[in-house]
Amino acid sequence: MSTYVLMKILESAPDRYDRGIRWLTLGRLDRAYDRLTSYIQKGHRVLDLGCGTGALTLRAAERGARVKGIDVNAHMLEKAEQRARRAGFAENIEFSEMGVAELGNEPSESYDVVMSGLCFSELTGDELTYALDEVKRILRPGGLLLVADEVKPESAVKKILTRLIRCPLAVITYLLTQTTTRAIDQLPEQLRKRGFSILSIRRSLLEDFIEIVAQKP
Amino acid sequence: MNELRYILINVVETLLRVLPLPSATGLRVIGNPDEHSPVLLTGNYHLTVERVRRALRGLDCYLLIANSRGINVWCAAAGGHLTNHDVISALKTSGIEQRVAHRRVILPQLAATGVEASVVQRKTGWKVVWGPVYADDIPAFINHGFEKTPAMRQVSFPWTQRLEMAAAWAFPISIISALAAQAVWPDGSIPLALMVWGLALVIFLAFPLYSRWLRPEGKRVGFVFFDFGRGGLQLILWGAFLLGIVGYANWKGTLSWDFVLRWGFASLVVVLVLSLDLMGSTPVYKSGLHEDRLLEVILDENKCRGAGFCEQVCPRNCFDVDHRRHLATRPRGHLCVQCGACIVQCPFDALTFQTPTGETIAPETIRKFKLNLLGQRLKGARSV
Repeated sequence: MSTYVLMKILESAPDRYDRGIRWLTLGRLDRAYDRLTSYIQKGHRVLDLGCGTGALTLRAAERGARVKGIDVNAHMLEKAEQRARRAGFAENIEFSEMGVAELGNEPSESYDVVMSGLCFSELTGDELTYALDEVKRILRPGGLLLVADEVKPESAVKKILTRLIRCPLAVITYLLTQTTTRAIDQLPEQLRKRGFSILSIRRSLLEDFIEIVAQKP
Repeated sequence: MNELRYILINVVETLLRVLPLPSATGLRVIGNPDEHSPVLLTGNYHLTVERVRRALRGLDCYLLIANSRGINVWCAAAGGHLTNHDVISALKTSGIEQRVAHRRVILPQLAATGVEASVVQRKTGWKVVWGPVYADDIPAFINHGFEKTPAMRQVSFPWTQRLEMAAAWAFPISIISALAAQAVWPDGSIPLALMVWGLALVIFLAFPLYSRWLRPEGKRVGFVFFDFGRGGLQLILWGAFLLGIVGYANWKGTLSWDFVLRWGFASLVVVLVLSLDLMGSTPVYKSGLHEDRLLEVILDENKCRGAGFCEQVCPRNCFDVDHRRHLATRPRGHLCVQCGACIVQCPFDALTFQTPTGETIAPETIRKFKLNLLGQRLKGARSV
């Protein structure tokens, strides 16, 4: 799923983003999001980190949760708000233009579920460390962290293989948008270190994409 | 050894100047700072970080490297790659809050076009002080109690920067043309590459000689080269170059139509490519490729209260503040490069952009739509 790097191209035009990402991932991301959000129950208080155009946010609202979606991109948020209104979920969803660096303002143990789809791979090292610490603080005991993201494969062969596939794609994206994403290193480890227990892990064939369900003790 | 490394980095990264080149983000400790030491922030373009660190030698302070996607501060801030979110992120996630007792961060003045100081302060409690344009002025700025002289606020285009820009363009263009020539004209590769360097150096180093005829409000892209005010001088240069090589070939006795056509065509292409965005390659003009160059800053005297943020952030020193009347004035408005920093920072929304057709672009739109090649800012204004 190295094609995620191409997402950056789509981001420059939120209007095309949803169609583009479906095409790029051949529907795989949709299925991953469906699997993850199946853990969400009616009445859950949910936070969506880097919600973008609201792919995860709307799924959670559909399941009857009260969701807060945050993103640093005002244009993507506008798109998400439009979609939420059209789907009739405007009441259950709150969008806010803020980054993970502002999670410090969220009250402790105030969420049942925190979700992050393709957001952690856009963070700097400091930001990811901070975000994971804060997520642990704001989740209630027993609360869930749902992640779908690009990761670095653990086997050396697959590491090289993904790098070969990803490289030309990253160059194209870089030329068009001057940005790129950074695959996360050792995400399950980083979660275990913070005391999360991993309920479920699902990796892509090349081990470059991961779905994790982690629980705060 | 350090000296050699610094020189090497400067040379290599100047040649690769047109590409983003990221440095690690986060907190760097300079000297032996304590909890009262100044906190400075810059973008994570590698060359910038190297130069800022060098400028800070001998000071005791903290340097935060925010994620500007490997792009220099001005371009990143203007293009939406360095925003208040990146600044907030550096302040909250780098650990600086545990190191200092104060909450004052010095930002590079050129970030003002994209980073809203009021949002940073509201969300984090950190007060933003706009530092000087150039890192070399930071020690003087700190020693004078965070006061800037007018010179510290102004961008300039001295010969050193002109040389850098010439090299930045000549390097990739000479390599591409030499490689392209390999396919059709192998013997021409090296002379062609040398010609690119020669023309680039002449065009950029001679900039002050012809800059007075450059007009940012000139024609749209595509007609650029046919407008005497903007491309004309380069065409004269091309003619002179052609005469020169014809004379040389004649003297050598190798003059032929083939020779003249070949070099005439090659040098014309090079001159045109080099002057494609000549004005945008300087800090003293708006890029000829942006429609924003046609915008005019309008000051609403009824809203202005003379707070003077505009004076602090304008990289062309367009503003003066009349402290007696509590009013800003724009006596040097003709120097404006439409960066929008004054509009973004004004706490009273007293400044706006006006389009050539008389439409007003509200400050909110300027803050929301960063500058980019798609002209979203103007589109945004029209859809509102």
